[in-house]
Amino acid sequence: MLDYSEPVARLIDEFKRLPGVGHKSAQRLAFYILRRPKTEIDAFVESLREVKEKIVFCSTCNNLTDVDPCLYCANPKRDRSIVCIVEEPYNLVAVEKTRSFRGLYHILHGSLSPIRGVGPDELMIANLLPRLLPENNDGVEVQEIIIATNPTTEGEATANYIARLLKPLGVRCTRIAMGMPVGSDLEYVDEVTMDKALANRHEM
Amino acid sequence: MLLTELEARNFRNVRGKTVCGSGLNILLGDNGQGKTNWLECIHILATTRSFRTSKLSESIRFDEPSALLVGKIQVSEDIAHELRAVIEGTSKAFSVNGKRETIQRYLGELHAVVFNADELEVVRGTPENRRRFLDDSITAIHPPYVQTTADYSKIVRQKNSLLQNARDRELSLEKISEALAPWNEQLVSVASKVHRSRVRIVERLNSALAKGLFGEEKIAIRYLSSLEDKGDLNDYEALITERLEMRVQAEMVAGHSLIGPHRDDLEITLNGRDIRKFGSSGQQRSALLLLQLANIEIFFEQRGEYPLFLLDDIDAELDYRRIGQLLEYLSGRTQTFVTTSKESFADEFGSLATIMRVKDGEITPSLSTVQSAGM
Repeated sequence: MLDYSEPVARLIDEFKRLPGVGHKSAQRLAFYILRRPKTEIDAFVESLREVKEKIVFCSTCNNLTDVDPCLYCANPKRDRSIVCIVEEPYNLVAVEKTRSFRGLYHILHGSLSPIRGVGPDELMIANLLPRLLPENNDGVEVQEIIIATNPTTEGEATANYIARLLKPLGVRCTRIAMGMPVGSDLEYVDEVTMDKALANRHEM
Repeated sequence: MLLTELEARNFRNVRGKTVCGSGLNILLGDNGQGKTNWLECIHILATTRSFRTSKLSESIRFDEPSALLVGKIQVSEDIAHELRAVIEGTSKAFSVNGKRETIQRYLGELHAVVFNADELEVVRGTPENRRRFLDDSITAIHPPYVQTTADYSKIVRQKNSLLQNARDRELSLEKISEALAPWNEQLVSVASKVHRSRVRIVERLNSALAKGLFGEEKIAIRYLSSLEDKGDLNDYEALITERLEMRVQAEMVAGHSLIGPHRDDLEITLNGRDIRKFGSSGQQRSALLLLQLANIEIFFEQRGEYPLFLLDDIDAELDYRRIGQLLEYLSGRTQTFVTTSKESFADEFGSLATIMRVKDGEITPSLSTVQSAGM
Protein backbone atom coordinates (compact mmCIF):
# COMPACT_ATOMS: atom_id res chain seq x y z
CA MET A 1 0.00 0.00 0.00
CA LEU A 2 1.18 3.52 -0.73
CA ASP A 3 2.00 5.87 2.14
CA TYR A 4 0.30 8.71 0.32
CA SER A 5 -2.49 9.02 -2.19
CA GLU A 6 -1.31 8.33 -5.70
CA PRO A 7 -0.83 11.91 -7.01
CA VAL A 8 1.26 12.83 -3.97
CA ALA A 9 3.31 9.65 -4.20
CA ARG A 10 3.96 10.33 -7.86
CA LEU A 11 5.09 13.89 -7.16
CA ILE A 12 7.46 12.62 -4.48
CA ASP A 13 8.87 10.11 -6.96
CA GLU A 14 9.43 12.85 -9.50
CA PHE A 15 11.26 15.03 -6.99
CA LYS A 16 13.43 12.09 -6.02
CA ARG A 17 14.80 11.96 -9.55
CA LEU A 18 16.40 15.37 -9.07
CA PRO A 19 20.10 15.37 -8.20
CA GLY A 20 20.79 15.76 -4.49
CA VAL A 21 17.20 15.11 -3.45
CA GLY A 22 16.53 12.13 -1.22
CA HIS A 23 13.25 10.75 0.05
CA LYS A 24 12.84 13.18 2.94
CA SER A 25 13.60 16.27 0.86
CA ALA A 26 11.24 15.02 -1.83
CA GLN A 27 8.46 14.69 0.75
CA ARG A 28 9.11 18.18 2.05
CA LEU A 29 9.07 19.65 -1.45
CA ALA A 30 5.85 17.84 -2.35
CA PHE A 31 4.04 19.17 0.71
CA TYR A 32 5.41 22.62 0.09
CA ILE A 33 3.88 22.47 -3.40
CA LEU A 34 0.55 21.32 -1.96
CA ARG A 35 0.37 24.34 0.32
CA ARG A 36 1.10 26.95 -2.35
CA PRO A 37 -1.70 28.82 -4.21
CA LYS A 38 -2.60 27.51 -7.66
CA THR A 39 -1.35 30.62 -9.50
CA GLU A 40 2.11 30.12 -8.10
CA ILE A 41 2.16 26.48 -9.17
CA ASP A 42 0.98 27.42 -12.65
CA ALA A 43 3.89 29.83 -12.97
CA PHE A 44 6.26 27.13 -11.76
CA VAL A 45 4.93 24.59 -14.25
CA GLU A 46 5.10 27.18 -16.99
CA SER A 47 8.73 27.97 -16.23
CA LEU A 48 9.58 24.28 -16.40
CA ARG A 49 7.82 23.93 -19.74
CA GLU A 50 9.39 27.09 -21.09
CA VAL A 51 12.92 26.12 -20.19
CA LYS A 52 12.47 22.87 -22.06
CA GLU A 53 10.81 24.45 -25.09
CA LYS A 54 12.86 27.59 -25.51
CA ILE A 55 16.36 26.67 -24.40
CA VAL A 56 18.55 25.18 -27.10
CA PHE A 57 22.26 24.63 -27.57
CA CYS A 58 24.06 27.45 -29.34
CA SER A 59 25.09 25.96 -32.68
CA THR A 60 28.54 27.53 -32.40
CA CYS A 61 29.61 27.14 -28.77
CA ASN A 62 27.00 24.74 -27.27
CA ASN A 63 26.03 27.21 -24.59
CA LEU A 64 22.45 27.01 -23.35
CA THR A 65 20.53 29.86 -24.94
CA ASP A 66 17.11 31.01 -26.09
CA VAL A 67 18.56 32.66 -29.20
CA ASP A 68 20.92 30.97 -31.61
CA PRO A 69 23.74 32.03 -31.86
CA CYS A 70 23.98 32.85 -28.16
CA LEU A 71 24.64 36.31 -26.73
CA TYR A 72 28.38 35.71 -26.51
CA CYS A 73 28.80 34.36 -30.02
CA ALA A 74 26.60 37.11 -31.50
CA ASN A 75 28.31 39.96 -29.65
CA PRO A 76 30.53 41.90 -32.14
CA LYS A 77 32.59 43.30 -29.26
CA ARG A 78 33.91 39.88 -28.21
CA ASP A 79 37.38 38.91 -29.37
CA ARG A 80 36.88 36.11 -31.87
CA SER A 81 40.57 35.16 -31.99
CA ILE A 82 40.53 33.50 -28.58
CA VAL A 83 38.34 30.62 -27.39
CA CYS A 84 37.99 29.30 -23.85
CA ILE A 85 36.89 25.66 -23.47
CA VAL A 86 34.92 24.72 -20.36
CA GLU A 87 33.07 21.61 -19.16
CA GLU A 88 29.70 23.05 -18.15
CA PRO A 89 27.63 26.19 -18.77
CA TYR A 90 28.09 27.23 -15.12
CA ASN A 91 31.87 27.10 -15.68
CA LEU A 92 31.34 29.71 -18.39
CA VAL A 93 29.56 31.87 -15.85
CA ALA A 94 32.52 31.53 -13.47
CA VAL A 95 34.99 32.67 -16.13
CA GLU A 96 32.65 35.42 -17.27
CA LYS A 97 32.40 36.84 -13.75
CA THR A 98 36.06 37.82 -13.93
CA ARG A 99 35.15 40.34 -16.67
CA SER A 100 38.74 39.98 -17.85
CA PHE A 101 38.05 37.42 -20.55
CA ARG A 102 36.61 38.97 -23.68
CA GLY A 103 36.89 36.03 -26.06
CA LEU A 104 34.44 33.30 -27.05
CA TYR A 105 33.60 30.02 -25.35
CA HIS A 106 33.15 26.39 -26.21
CA ILE A 107 31.18 24.16 -23.85
CA LEU A 108 31.79 20.43 -23.81
CA HIS A 109 28.91 19.44 -21.52
CA GLY A 110 31.00 16.99 -19.54
CA SER A 111 34.45 15.47 -19.28
CA LEU A 112 35.97 12.19 -20.42
CA SER A 113 35.20 9.32 -18.06
CA PRO A 114 35.28 5.77 -19.42
CA ILE A 115 33.84 4.51 -16.12
CA ARG A 116 30.69 6.53 -16.66
CA GLY A 117 30.70 5.67 -20.35
CA VAL A 118 31.69 9.14 -21.47
CA GLY A 119 34.07 9.08 -24.44
CA PRO A 120 34.91 11.85 -26.94
CA ASP A 121 31.71 11.06 -28.87
CA GLU A 122 29.58 11.84 -25.82
CA LEU A 123 31.15 15.29 -25.43
CA MET A 124 30.17 18.19 -27.64
CA ILE A 125 33.50 18.27 -29.40
CA ALA A 126 32.54 17.52 -33.01
CA ASN A 127 31.70 21.14 -33.79
CA LEU A 128 34.92 22.50 -32.26
CA LEU A 129 37.33 22.11 -35.19
CA PRO A 130 34.97 23.44 -37.88
CA ARG A 131 34.13 26.57 -35.91
CA LEU A 132 37.81 27.48 -35.63
CA LEU A 133 38.14 27.92 -39.40
CA PRO A 134 38.22 31.62 -40.35
CA GLU A 135 35.32 31.16 -42.80
CA ASN A 136 33.12 30.03 -39.91
CA ASN A 137 34.45 32.70 -37.57
CA ASP A 138 33.62 35.96 -39.35
CA GLY A 139 36.92 35.72 -41.20
CA VAL A 140 38.94 35.92 -37.98
CA GLU A 141 41.80 33.48 -37.41
CA VAL A 142 41.80 31.89 -33.95
CA GLN A 143 45.11 32.63 -32.19
CA GLU A 144 44.69 30.86 -28.89
CA ILE A 145 42.61 28.16 -27.21
CA ILE A 146 42.43 28.27 -23.41
CA ILE A 147 41.48 24.92 -21.90
CA ALA A 148 39.66 25.56 -18.63
CA THR A 149 38.43 22.08 -17.75
CA ASN A 150 38.43 21.11 -14.05
CA PRO A 151 41.69 20.17 -12.30
CA THR A 152 40.50 16.56 -11.79
CA THR A 153 41.85 13.45 -13.48
CA GLU A 154 38.83 13.55 -15.83
CA GLY A 155 39.30 17.25 -16.57
CA GLU A 156 43.02 16.71 -17.22
CA ALA A 157 42.34 13.82 -19.58
CA THR A 158 39.83 15.96 -21.44
CA ALA A 159 42.30 18.85 -21.69
CA ASN A 160 44.87 16.42 -22.94
CA TYR A 161 42.57 14.98 -25.55
CA ILE A 162 41.67 18.40 -26.89
CA ALA A 163 45.29 19.55 -26.99
CA ARG A 164 46.09 16.50 -29.13
CA LEU A 165 43.14 17.21 -31.36
CA LEU A 166 44.23 20.80 -31.93
CA LYS A 167 47.91 20.08 -32.45
CA PRO A 168 47.74 19.58 -36.26
CA LEU A 169 46.10 23.01 -36.57
CA GLY A 170 49.14 24.70 -35.09
CA VAL A 171 46.96 26.96 -32.94
CA ARG A 172 48.37 28.01 -29.58
CA CYS A 173 46.88 25.91 -26.79
CA THR A 174 47.07 26.91 -23.11
CA ARG A 175 45.87 25.38 -19.84
CA ILE A 176 44.66 27.52 -16.92
CA ALA A 177 47.06 27.62 -13.95
CA MET A 178 46.49 25.73 -10.70
CA GLY A 179 47.52 26.90 -7.27
CA MET A 180 46.76 29.44 -4.59
CA PRO A 181 43.36 31.07 -4.39
CA VAL A 182 43.87 34.82 -4.41
CA GLY A 183 43.03 36.91 -1.35
CA SER A 184 43.23 33.96 1.01
CA ASP A 185 45.79 33.27 3.67
CA LEU A 186 48.50 30.67 3.05
CA GLU A 187 47.39 29.08 6.27
CA TYR A 188 43.99 28.16 4.91
CA VAL A 189 45.16 26.46 1.75
CA ASP A 190 45.06 22.67 1.79
CA GLU A 191 48.35 20.82 1.38
CA VAL A 192 47.59 19.45 -2.06
CA THR A 193 46.89 22.89 -3.53
CA MET A 194 49.91 24.31 -1.76
CA ASP A 195 52.01 21.52 -3.23
CA LYS A 196 50.78 22.37 -6.74
CA ALA A 197 51.36 26.07 -6.15
CA LEU A 198 54.93 25.41 -5.03
CA ALA A 199 55.57 23.21 -8.06
CA ASN A 200 54.17 25.88 -10.40
CA ARG A 201 56.00 28.85 -8.82
CA HIS A 202 57.46 31.48 -11.12
CA GLU A 203 60.44 33.82 -11.34
CA MET A 204 60.04 37.34 -9.95
CA MET B 1 52.99 13.34 20.47
CA LEU B 2 51.16 12.59 23.65
CA LEU B 3 47.69 11.26 24.29
CA THR B 4 46.77 12.19 27.84
CA GLU B 5 43.15 11.10 28.10
CA LEU B 6 40.96 8.66 26.26
CA GLU B 7 37.21 8.13 26.32
CA ALA B 8 34.79 6.05 24.27
CA ARG B 9 31.00 5.81 24.07
CA ASN B 10 28.98 3.22 22.18
CA PHE B 11 32.05 1.96 20.40
CA ARG B 12 31.95 -1.85 20.16
CA ASN B 13 31.90 -3.16 23.74
CA VAL B 14 34.10 -0.48 25.27
CA ARG B 15 33.11 2.25 27.69
CA GLY B 16 34.68 4.53 30.22
CA LYS B 17 37.50 6.94 30.37
CA THR B 18 41.13 6.76 31.30
CA VAL B 19 44.23 8.87 31.64
CA CYS B 20 47.28 7.65 29.76
CA GLY B 21 50.92 7.55 30.80
CA SER B 22 53.51 9.37 28.75
CA GLY B 23 55.69 6.30 28.29
CA LEU B 24 54.57 2.69 28.29
CA ASN B 25 50.88 1.90 28.77
CA ILE B 26 49.86 -1.71 29.35
CA LEU B 27 46.26 -2.68 28.63
CA LEU B 28 45.77 -5.79 30.70
CA GLY B 29 42.79 -8.12 30.64
CA ASP B 30 41.51 -11.56 29.68
CA ASN B 31 40.76 -12.40 26.08
CA GLY B 32 37.56 -10.99 24.65
CA GLN B 33 37.32 -8.14 27.17
CA GLY B 34 37.98 -5.32 24.68
CA LYS B 35 41.69 -4.52 24.88
CA THR B 36 42.13 -4.46 21.12
CA ASN B 37 38.98 -2.34 20.80
CA TRP B 38 40.64 0.31 22.96
CA LEU B 39 43.74 0.16 20.79
CA GLU B 40 41.48 0.57 17.78
CA CYS B 41 39.97 3.70 19.38
CA ILE B 42 43.42 5.26 19.62
CA HIS B 43 44.20 4.26 16.06
CA ILE B 44 41.01 5.85 14.73
CA LEU B 45 41.64 9.06 16.67
CA ALA B 46 45.16 9.17 15.24
CA THR B 47 44.64 8.10 11.64
CA THR B 48 40.82 8.36 11.11
CA ARG B 49 40.93 4.71 10.04
CA SER B 50 40.46 1.42 11.79
CA PHE B 51 43.20 -1.18 11.56
CA ARG B 52 40.55 -3.90 11.50
CA THR B 53 37.66 -2.98 9.27
CA SER B 54 36.93 -0.60 6.46
CA LYS B 55 33.30 -0.56 7.55
CA LEU B 56 33.38 1.61 10.63
CA SER B 57 29.58 1.48 10.85
CA GLU B 58 29.96 -2.06 12.22
CA SER B 59 31.78 -0.69 15.22
CA ILE B 60 28.78 1.25 16.56
CA ARG B 61 27.17 -0.59 19.44
CA PHE B 62 23.99 -2.41 18.53
CA ASP B 63 20.85 -0.27 18.90
CA GLU B 64 22.82 2.96 19.26
CA PRO B 65 22.75 5.66 16.52
CA SER B 66 26.37 6.71 16.81
CA ALA B 67 29.69 6.11 18.52
CA LEU B 68 31.92 8.77 20.03
CA LEU B 69 35.65 8.73 20.69
CA VAL B 70 37.39 11.50 22.57
CA GLY B 71 41.11 11.96 23.04
CA LYS B 72 43.02 14.76 24.72
CA ILE B 73 46.45 15.40 23.34
CA GLN B 74 49.26 17.55 24.66
CA VAL B 75 50.52 19.58 21.70
CA SER B 76 53.08 21.52 23.72
CA GLU B 77 53.61 22.25 27.37
CA ASP B 78 50.78 24.75 27.51
CA ILE B 79 48.60 23.66 24.64
CA ALA B 80 46.16 20.76 24.75
CA HIS B 81 43.76 19.76 22.00
CA GLU B 82 40.60 17.74 22.33
CA LEU B 83 40.09 15.36 19.42
CA ARG B 84 36.68 13.90 18.73
CA ALA B 85 35.60 11.23 16.30
CA VAL B 86 31.89 10.68 15.73
CA ILE B 87 30.88 7.61 13.79
CA GLU B 88 27.30 7.74 12.58
CA GLY B 89 25.98 5.24 10.06
CA THR B 90 28.52 5.04 7.30
CA SER B 91 29.91 8.51 7.89
CA LYS B 92 32.55 9.75 10.28
CA ALA B 93 33.31 13.24 11.45
CA PHE B 94 36.42 14.54 13.16
CA SER B 95 36.82 17.66 15.19
CA VAL B 96 39.57 19.49 17.05
CA ASN B 97 38.55 21.55 20.09
CA GLY B 98 34.91 21.25 19.10
CA LYS B 99 35.48 22.44 15.57
CA ARG B 100 34.87 20.09 12.70
CA GLU B 101 37.89 19.56 10.44
CA THR B 102 38.37 17.96 7.05
CA ILE B 103 40.18 14.64 7.29
CA GLN B 104 43.21 16.09 5.57
CA ARG B 105 43.58 18.85 8.14
CA TYR B 106 42.71 16.57 11.03
CA LEU B 107 45.43 14.09 10.11
CA GLY B 108 48.24 16.36 11.29
CA GLU B 109 47.08 16.22 14.92
CA LEU B 110 48.12 12.76 15.98
CA HIS B 111 49.87 9.87 14.31
CA ALA B 112 50.16 6.21 15.26
CA VAL B 113 52.12 3.26 13.98
CA VAL B 114 50.61 -0.15 14.65
CA PHE B 115 52.12 -3.59 15.08
CA ASN B 116 49.72 -6.51 15.08
CA ALA B 117 49.09 -9.86 13.40
CA ASP B 118 47.32 -8.26 10.42
CA GLU B 119 50.27 -5.97 9.71
CA LEU B 120 52.40 -9.09 9.24
CA GLU B 121 50.84 -9.27 5.80
CA VAL B 122 53.29 -6.52 4.89
CA VAL B 123 56.09 -9.03 5.28
CA ARG B 124 54.45 -12.22 4.14
CA GLY B 125 51.35 -11.22 2.19
CA THR B 126 50.75 -10.01 -1.34
CA PRO B 127 52.64 -7.09 -2.98
CA GLU B 128 49.56 -4.92 -2.47
CA ASN B 129 50.26 -4.89 1.28
CA ARG B 130 53.81 -3.73 0.74
CA ARG B 131 52.76 -0.98 -1.65
CA ARG B 132 50.25 0.21 0.94
CA PHE B 133 52.96 0.11 3.60
CA LEU B 134 55.20 2.36 1.49
CA ASP B 135 52.37 4.71 0.55
CA ASP B 136 51.34 5.04 4.21
CA SER B 137 54.93 5.82 5.20
CA ILE B 138 55.14 8.52 2.55
CA THR B 139 51.78 10.03 3.51
CA ALA B 140 52.78 10.18 7.18
CA ILE B 141 55.64 12.55 6.37
CA HIS B 142 54.19 14.16 3.25
CA PRO B 143 50.36 14.40 3.48
CA PRO B 144 49.73 15.76 -0.06
CA TYR B 145 50.85 12.36 -1.34
CA VAL B 146 47.31 11.16 -0.50
CA GLN B 147 46.11 13.02 -3.57
CA THR B 148 48.81 11.47 -5.74
CA THR B 149 47.78 7.90 -4.85
CA ALA B 150 44.09 8.76 -5.19
CA ASP B 151 44.70 10.28 -8.63
CA TYR B 152 46.79 7.32 -9.67
CA SER B 153 44.19 4.71 -8.80
CA LYS B 154 41.49 6.82 -10.46
CA ILE B 155 43.47 7.00 -13.68
CA VAL B 156 44.08 3.24 -13.61
CA ARG B 157 40.38 2.58 -13.02
CA GLN B 158 39.38 4.85 -15.90
CA LYS B 159 41.95 3.22 -18.12
CA ASN B 160 40.80 -0.28 -17.16
CA SER B 161 37.25 0.61 -18.03
CA LEU B 162 38.42 1.93 -21.39
CA LEU B 163 40.48 -1.19 -22.11
CA GLN B 164 37.68 -3.53 -21.13
CA ASN B 165 35.28 -1.69 -23.36
CA ALA B 166 37.75 -1.69 -26.24
CA ARG B 167 38.23 -5.43 -25.89
CA ASP B 168 34.51 -6.11 -25.85
CA ARG B 169 33.92 -3.94 -28.90
CA GLU B 170 37.04 -5.20 -30.69
CA LEU B 171 38.29 -1.73 -31.54
CA SER B 172 41.25 -1.30 -33.89
CA LEU B 173 44.68 -0.75 -32.37
CA GLU B 174 44.81 2.73 -33.78
CA LYS B 175 41.46 3.68 -32.27
CA ILE B 176 42.32 2.35 -28.84
CA SER B 177 45.74 4.07 -28.88
CA GLU B 178 43.99 7.31 -29.59
CA ALA B 179 41.51 6.85 -26.75
CA LEU B 180 44.23 5.78 -24.34
CA ALA B 181 46.58 8.66 -25.10
CA PRO B 182 45.10 11.30 -22.78
CA TRP B 183 44.95 8.82 -19.90
CA ASN B 184 48.44 7.46 -20.51
CA GLU B 185 49.89 10.94 -20.60
CA GLN B 186 48.50 11.62 -17.14
CA LEU B 187 49.47 8.16 -15.96
CA VAL B 188 53.09 8.86 -16.93
CA SER B 189 53.29 12.01 -14.84
CA VAL B 190 51.49 10.63 -11.77
CA ALA B 191 53.25 7.24 -12.01
CA SER B 192 56.61 9.01 -12.11
CA LYS B 193 55.67 10.87 -8.94
CA VAL B 194 54.64 7.63 -7.22
CA HIS B 195 57.83 5.90 -8.37
CA ARG B 196 60.04 8.77 -7.24
CA SER B 197 58.36 9.02 -3.83
CA ARG B 198 58.56 5.28 -3.20
CA VAL B 199 62.21 5.02 -4.24
CA ARG B 200 63.00 7.92 -1.93
CA ILE B 201 61.12 6.50 1.07
CA VAL B 202 62.87 3.15 0.56
CA GLU B 203 66.22 4.96 0.69
CA ARG B 204 65.22 6.67 3.91
CA LEU B 205 63.86 3.49 5.48
CA ASN B 206 67.06 1.68 4.52
CA SER B 207 69.28 4.26 6.13
CA ALA B 208 67.18 4.01 9.31
CA LEU B 209 67.35 0.20 9.12
CA ALA B 210 71.11 0.34 8.65
CA LYS B 211 71.48 1.98 12.06
CA GLY B 212 70.57 -1.42 13.49
CA LEU B 213 67.91 0.12 15.69
CA PHE B 214 67.98 -2.82 18.00
CA GLY B 215 69.01 -6.44 17.90
CA GLU B 216 71.37 -8.20 15.58
CA GLU B 217 69.22 -8.95 12.53
CA LYS B 218 70.18 -7.06 9.39
CA ILE B 219 67.08 -6.19 7.43
CA ALA B 220 67.31 -4.42 4.11
CA ILE B 221 64.64 -3.46 1.59
CA ARG B 222 64.73 -2.78 -2.12
CA TYR B 223 62.04 -1.27 -4.29
CA LEU B 224 61.18 -3.67 -7.09
CA SER B 225 59.84 -1.73 -10.02
CA SER B 226 57.90 -3.79 -12.50
CA LEU B 227 59.94 -2.03 -15.19
CA GLU B 228 63.25 -2.99 -13.61
CA ASP B 229 64.68 -5.12 -16.41
CA LYS B 230 62.98 -3.11 -19.13
CA GLY B 231 65.38 -0.20 -19.38
CA ASP B 232 66.89 2.74 -17.51
CA LEU B 233 64.92 3.40 -14.32
CA ASN B 234 66.77 6.67 -13.77
CA ASP B 235 64.76 8.09 -16.61
CA TYR B 236 61.50 6.59 -15.41
CA GLU B 237 59.32 8.98 -17.35
CA ALA B 238 60.87 8.07 -20.69
CA LEU B 239 60.89 4.38 -19.82
CA ILE B 240 57.24 4.14 -18.84
CA THR B 241 56.20 6.25 -21.83
CA GLU B 242 58.00 3.83 -24.12
CA ARG B 243 56.55 0.75 -22.40
CA LEU B 244 53.02 2.11 -22.53
CA GLU B 245 53.32 2.73 -26.26
CA MET B 246 54.82 -0.68 -26.85
CA ARG B 247 52.25 -2.62 -24.87
CA VAL B 248 48.96 -1.16 -26.03
CA GLN B 249 47.93 -4.39 -27.69
CA ALA B 250 48.82 -6.51 -24.65
CA GLU B 251 46.85 -4.16 -22.38
CA MET B 252 43.88 -4.37 -24.69
CA VAL B 253 43.98 -8.18 -24.76
CA ALA B 254 44.26 -8.25 -20.97
CA GLY B 255 41.47 -5.70 -20.62
CA HIS B 256 43.31 -3.84 -17.86
CA SER B 257 46.43 -1.73 -17.22
CA LEU B 258 49.63 -3.75 -17.24
CA ILE B 259 52.19 -0.97 -16.89
CA GLY B 260 52.81 1.18 -13.86
CA PRO B 261 53.67 1.26 -10.15
CA HIS B 262 50.47 -0.62 -9.27
CA ARG B 263 52.45 -3.69 -10.34
CA ASP B 264 55.52 -2.93 -8.23
CA ASP B 265 56.71 -4.67 -5.08
CA LEU B 266 59.12 -4.29 -2.21
CA GLU B 267 61.78 -6.87 -1.53
CA ILE B 268 62.56 -7.45 2.14
CA THR B 269 65.71 -9.38 2.91
CA LEU B 270 67.22 -10.72 6.10
CA ASN B 271 70.98 -11.19 5.78
CA GLY B 272 70.54 -11.12 2.03
CA ARG B 273 67.74 -13.70 1.78
CA ASP B 274 64.13 -12.98 0.84
CA ILE B 275 62.29 -13.06 4.14
CA ARG B 276 58.90 -13.79 2.63
CA LYS B 277 60.15 -17.10 1.27
CA PHE B 278 62.94 -18.05 3.66
CA GLY B 279 62.26 -16.29 6.94
CA SER B 280 60.85 -18.09 9.97
CA SER B 281 57.71 -16.61 11.39
CA GLY B 282 59.74 -15.15 14.27
CA GLN B 283 62.09 -13.51 11.79
CA GLN B 284 59.15 -12.14 9.86
CA ARG B 285 57.82 -10.54 13.03
CA SER B 286 61.21 -9.01 13.76
CA ALA B 287 61.39 -7.70 10.22
CA LEU B 288 58.02 -5.99 10.51
CA LEU B 289 58.99 -4.55 13.86
CA LEU B 290 62.23 -3.17 12.44
CA LEU B 291 60.36 -1.68 9.50
CA GLN B 292 57.91 0.00 11.85
CA LEU B 293 60.74 1.33 13.99
CA ALA B 294 62.39 2.71 10.86
CA ASN B 295 59.07 4.38 10.05
CA ILE B 296 58.99 5.91 13.50
CA GLU B 297 62.54 7.25 13.10
CA ILE B 298 61.79 8.77 9.70
CA PHE B 299 58.70 10.40 11.14
CA PHE B 300 60.85 11.86 13.90
CA GLU B 301 63.48 13.13 11.44
CA GLN B 302 60.78 14.90 9.48
CA ARG B 303 58.48 16.16 12.22
CA GLY B 304 60.72 16.45 15.26
CA GLU B 305 58.39 14.31 17.37
CA TYR B 306 57.55 10.64 17.66
CA PRO B 307 54.22 9.05 16.69
CA LEU B 308 52.33 6.78 19.09
CA PHE B 309 53.24 3.12 18.84
CA LEU B 310 50.47 0.54 19.26
CA LEU B 311 51.32 -3.13 19.76
CA ASP B 312 48.46 -5.56 19.89
CA ASP B 313 48.83 -8.85 21.75
CA ILE B 314 52.50 -8.15 22.22
CA ASP B 315 53.50 -11.38 23.95
CA ALA B 316 51.83 -13.53 21.33
CA GLU B 317 53.87 -11.84 18.65
CA LEU B 318 57.26 -11.48 20.35
CA ASP B 319 59.27 -13.33 23.02
CA TYR B 320 60.23 -11.63 26.29
CA ARG B 321 63.83 -11.11 25.21
CA ARG B 322 62.77 -9.15 22.14
CA ILE B 323 60.08 -7.30 24.08
CA GLY B 324 62.69 -6.24 26.62
CA GLN B 325 64.97 -4.89 23.90
CA LEU B 326 62.07 -3.21 22.17
CA LEU B 327 60.68 -1.48 25.25
CA GLU B 328 64.13 -0.28 26.20
CA TYR B 329 64.54 1.19 22.75
CA LEU B 330 61.13 2.86 22.79
CA SER B 331 61.51 4.31 26.24
CA GLY B 332 62.13 8.05 26.00
CA ARG B 333 60.95 7.98 22.41
CA THR B 334 57.35 6.99 21.75
CA GLN B 335 54.25 6.91 23.87
CA THR B 336 53.51 3.21 23.60
CA PHE B 337 50.32 1.20 24.10
CA VAL B 338 50.51 -2.59 24.35
CA THR B 339 47.83 -5.17 25.06
CA THR B 340 48.41 -8.42 26.91
CA SER B 341 46.40 -11.05 28.74
CA LYS B 342 49.28 -12.14 30.97
CA GLU B 343 49.68 -10.82 34.49
CA SER B 344 53.28 -12.00 34.32
CA PHE B 345 53.88 -9.50 31.53
CA ALA B 346 52.80 -6.66 33.78
CA ASP B 347 55.00 -8.03 36.56
CA GLU B 348 57.99 -8.18 34.24
CA PHE B 349 57.67 -4.86 32.42
CA GLY B 350 55.14 -2.89 34.46
CA SER B 351 57.44 -1.12 36.89
CA LEU B 352 57.66 2.06 34.84
CA ALA B 353 54.37 1.64 33.03
CA THR B 354 50.82 2.83 33.39
CA ILE B 355 48.66 -0.24 33.75
CA MET B 356 45.05 -0.14 32.63
CA ARG B 357 42.77 -3.04 33.33
CA VAL B 358 40.13 -3.86 30.75
CA LYS B 359 37.18 -5.92 31.87
CA ASP B 360 33.91 -6.31 30.02
CA GLY B 361 34.85 -3.34 27.86
CA GLU B 362 35.40 -1.03 30.79
CA ILE B 363 38.83 0.49 31.30
CA THR B 364 40.24 1.35 34.73
CA PRO B 365 43.66 2.80 35.29
CA SER B 366 45.53 1.24 38.20
CA LEU B 367 45.60 3.64 41.11
CA SER B 368 49.34 3.60 41.65
CA THR B 369 50.08 4.97 38.22
CA VAL B 370 47.44 7.62 37.79
CA GLN B 371 49.75 10.46 38.82
CA SER B 372 52.29 9.69 36.11
CA ALA B 373 49.85 10.80 33.47
CA GLY B 374 49.41 14.30 34.82
CA MET B 375 52.84 15.31 33.44
